Amino acid sequence: MIVLQLAYEFFRIGLFSFGGGYATLPFLYQISQQYSWYNLEELAQMTAVASITPGPVGINVATYAGLKTAGVLGALISTLSEMLPSFILVIIVAKLLKKFSDNFYVKAVIETLKPISCALLTSVAIGLLRPEIKDLKSMSLLLILLLLSWKTKKDPLFYMLISMVVGVGIVIFL
Amino acid sequence: MKNISLLKLFFIFAKVGAILLGGGYVILPILINEFVEKRNLVNHDELVDYFALSQSLPGIIAANISMFVGYKLRGKTGAFVAMLGVVFVPIITIITLASLLGLIMTNPYVQGALWGVGIAVIALIMLTVREMWNKSTRNTFFYVVFILALSGLLLFNLTPVQTILIYTVFGVLYKIMTTPKEAR
Repeated sequence: MIVLQLAYEFFRIGLFSFGGGYATLPFLYQISQQYSWYNLEELAQMTAVASITPGPVGINVATYAGLKTAGVLGALISTLSEMLPSFILVIIVAKLLKKFSDNFYVKAVIETLKPISCALLTSVAIGLLRPEIKDLKSMSLLLILLLLSWKTKKDPLFYMLISMVVGVGIVIFL
Repeated sequence: MKNISLLKLFFIFAKVGAILLGGGYVILPILINEFVEKRNLVNHDELVDYFALSQSLPGIIAANISMFVGYKLRGKTGAFVAMLGVVFVPIITIITLASLLGLIMTNPYVQGALWGVGIAVIALIMLTVREMWNKSTRNTFFYVVFILALSGLLLFNLTPVQTILIYTVFGVLYKIMTTPKEAR
């Protein structure tokens, strides 16, 4: 039963991949070697499409791999199986947090997580700067977006749309 | 803090999933916008905690943080609804458009738009960092952990999971040593 195999493989990915979407790729590579569901070229194509469609890359590539392997049912099975382990874990962690919110150690963990969160996101921003901001165009757009944030209410969609329009505009006019 | 219906929760997360472009990290600014600024259903502080917790659990970060928010608002069912909501538009997009998208991806206009999204993602992440920074109580403890964690990530190439594990242990030990026994 290919659907059961899909469910098993993606459950495993959901349980063992740490660190976001691209962390699932080694598992997907291994699957391409083990089964004849898709080949490497198709995996590259799937990853590229997954990174431009809305949604987390790790979810999109799971949906796409499931779709390629077993159609719409496969897409649903692979996506939901991938999220099932963290669904269970999130509920356990959230429950414990609620139950022990007055505990000294839990409070210490929570207080430590704030500066760590800040550091994680800062490192993401720094990591993205080098590959993305490599010419005057990209630097100017980034500066304009940051300046805009001083004047307007910051709705993330607003920045996305403006930047897409600017990107298309540059292709048309330059 | 108000309450929210499951249907409404689903639709908000469907919207979050639909505008989640350019990788999972943008989910934090989007959730802050939807749940803190527009609706005041969750604290900024709580979201920041969920973000770190989501990174330290296996699975997809954006899905994990959605489940935390769903659980906070409507318990287990809420977590389930949030999970379904956030992947709703992405799944439909892949099922209906995947083959088409493969073909138009090299189109120069699509490339231009994607370039723009890439820049917007950086701006959004930088703004979120600024906001997190402004809203935190920055005592010595905050600065020490922040600087150590950031240097771990940038200089020693620690993964996010390693960073969270190592510095959480460090932070708790620090708290134990700086808090008198009777206050624990």
